[in-house]
Amino acid sequence: MDELLKSHKVLVCVGSGGVGKTTLAASLGVLAALNGQRVLVLTVDPARRLATTLGITEGTERKIPFEESQGELTASIIDPKKTFDDFVTKAAGQGTGAEKLFKNKLYKQLSTTLSGSQEFTALEKLYSSYQSGKYDLIILDTPPTEHAIDFLNSPQNISALFDERISRWFVSSGRGPIGMFGGLVSMGTKKAFAALENLTGSEFISELRSFFATIQDWRAKLTERTQDVHRLLVHPDTAFVLVTSFDQAKLLEADRFRREITKNGYSLEQIFINRAYPEWLSLDDPLENPSEPPGQLQSYYQELSSYYREKLRLYEAYEQQIAGDVPITKLPYFEEDISDLTGLRKLAKILV
Amino acid sequence: MADRAEQKLIMVTGKGGVGKSLAAAALASKYEQAGLRVLLVELGEESFYKDFFGLKEVSYQPTRLRPHLDVALWSSGECLREYALHLLKSQSLYQIFFENRVMKTFIKVAPGLTELAILGKFTSGIRRIGPPLGYDVVVLDSYASGHTTALLRAPRGMADAVSFGPMGEQSRRIQQVLKNPEVMEYYVVTLPEELPYQESLELIRTIEDETGLVPQVIFNRSLRDVLDEEVDLESIPSSKGLGRFLGFLQKRLDQQRTILQQLQEQRKKIFNVPLITETDPWTLVDQFAERLK
Repeated sequence: MDELLKSHKVLVCVGSGGVGKTTLAASLGVLAALNGQRVLVLTVDPARRLATTLGITEGTERKIPFEESQGELTASIIDPKKTFDDFVTKAAGQGTGAEKLFKNKLYKQLSTTLSGSQEFTALEKLYSSYQSGKYDLIILDTPPTEHAIDFLNSPQNISALFDERISRWFVSSGRGPIGMFGGLVSMGTKKAFAALENLTGSEFISELRSFFATIQDWRAKLTERTQDVHRLLVHPDTAFVLVTSFDQAKLLEADRFRREITKNGYSLEQIFINRAYPEWLSLDDPLENPSEPPGQLQSYYQELSSYYREKLRLYEAYEQQIAGDVPITKLPYFEEDISDLTGLRKLAKILV
Repeated sequence: MADRAEQKLIMVTGKGGVGKSLAAAALASKYEQAGLRVLLVELGEESFYKDFFGLKEVSYQPTRLRPHLDVALWSSGECLREYALHLLKSQSLYQIFFENRVMKTFIKVAPGLTELAILGKFTSGIRRIGPPLGYDVVVLDSYASGHTTALLRAPRGMADAVSFGPMGEQSRRIQQVLKNPEVMEYYVVTLPEELPYQESLELIRTIEDETGLVPQVIFNRSLRDVLDEEVDLESIPSSKGLGRFLGFLQKRLDQQRTILQQLQEQRKKIFNVPLITETDPWTLVDQFAERLK
C-alpha cells in the first residue's frame, strides 16, 4: 500500500455510491501524510460529519499537518459551480465571453445539472490541482454513481456537446425563424430542430442558441483540456483504485469494471472490498459452548458468525475471478462509523 | 381530473448501499403474494437483479420472475425513445430526431429529459399514454438519494423551463400523478447507522416537499436487541470472540436505539427489518417481505 502511494502522483477512487469510497479516499490520504507526503484529497460528496471533522465545507480547503512525519493532508470539497465558472473564465480568456455566458439563463442550470457535469468538474479540479505542483499525491474521490463505470463514460457526454458540428448547428440557425438555415445544415437536422422548437418553444431555443454562440470561441480550449485530462488519467503516474462492497452483485460488477477500465488504457492497481466482515469476527472460534444451552447473546453470536463465515467462503471463488492480477484487500466493518481523524488513522493502519 | 387508483405506483429510494434493491424486490414479492400482478423495475444500463437472482437476462421487455411478478430494466435511452415516439407522433420524424447525430448528443446531456422520460413511463399506466403497463402494481427500485432527488424535481424544472407545448403539459401531468396519494407510495430505506440515517432525513424532506406525500421508512439490517436478557456480561472475556462481539453489539445497539427513537419521534411509519442471515436470494426476499406486512 505504501508503494502504491509513493509511486504515483494521482489516485482515482472509483466505485458505486454507498461503498465507503470517501472514507477510504480520506484514509489513504491520512496514510500518505503519515508517510511524509503532501497530499490533497478531493471529495465531491462527503458525509456531513466527515466534512465537519476535516474542517471543510463546499468550496473550502483545509490543511492538516502531521507533525510526526512532516506530512500534510489538504482536504477539499469540489464546488461544481465554481469549478465550472473558473474553467469558463480561463477558457474565455480576453473579451466578454465569460460574462455573457454567466448571464445566460440556461448556463446556470446546464453547468450543474448536465449529465456528466459533476464528473467533468471533478476531473477539471483534479487537473488544475495537478498542474499547481503543490502536492506529492492527489487522491480523487469520484462522485457517487449507480455503477462504477459511469464515472469514466460521463465526461465524454459533455465534451461531445461542445463538438464543433453541434455548435455550428445551433449557431447557424442564426437570426429569424428556423426555416432560414444556411446550406451548412442538412435537411434532417433542420427538421429535427424544428421538431425541437415545437416541443420546447422558441424562447428556450433562443437561449440555447445564445449559449452555443457564446461558447463557440473557446470550444478549442475545452477539447484541449479534455485531451490533457485523458493523458493524465492514462499516465503511469496515475492509478485507479476500485472500492466495492461484499455482495455477489457488486463483486460481479467490479469484475466487469476491471475489464472495462483496463480495455480503455487505465491502470487499476488495487481493489478494496469494504465492510466485508465485522471486526469482531473470528474465523476459528469453535462457537459452540457445550457446557450449557446458549442464551440469546450466545445464539446471536453463533448465528452471525456462521453467516459471515459462510459469506467469506462463498466469495473466495469470486475474489480470484474478479481480481485478475490486481491486489485485493478485504476491509472490516467497524463497531463505530468512521467520522473523525482518529477513525481515519485506525483505518489507515489496517490498510497497510 | 382525478386518476382512478387502478394501479399502485411504488418508489423505493435511499442512500447507496442500504439495501434498496432488496427492499424493492421484497415489496414486489409482498404484493405478488397478495394476488396482484406486479412489475419490478430497476433503472440504468446494467441490471442488478440479473446478478442477484442469477437470471439470463433482464431488459426493457419484462422477464417473468414468478407467476405474477415480472422484472424489467429501464435504461434512459429506451425510455427516451419511447417518449419521443409518443411526443413526435410520427415514425419518420422520430427517426430524424434520433438518428440525427447532433440531436443524439443533445438528448444525452439535456438535464431533466431522461428523468422525464423515466417518470413518463412509470406513470404511463395511470395517464393511459403509450404502450400499456398491464400491472396492478409497479415497484420502482429508484436511484440512490441524489439522483432520485433530481428525478423528483425534473418535472417541475421542465414545466418551468418549457412553459409551452407538449413537454410542459406532460411534465405537469406527471407531477400530478406523483402527488396523488391514491396512487403513490414512497419508501425510504435506511440503516441503523449515522450516515444513511442523516441522508434518509433529507430524502424524506425532499419527497415531502416535491410531492406533499409522507414516505414510509424501512429500517434495514437492524440488530437484535439481545442485551436486555439476564446475562452476566462481566463474565465474558473481552478479548475472545464473544467478548469482542459484545463490545461491538453494545456500541451498535446504542446507536440503533437512538436513531430508531428519533425516527419514531417524527411519527414516520417504520418497518423494522432485521439483518437477515441468509445468502439465498429468494429466501432473503421472502423473509424481508414478511417484515413488510
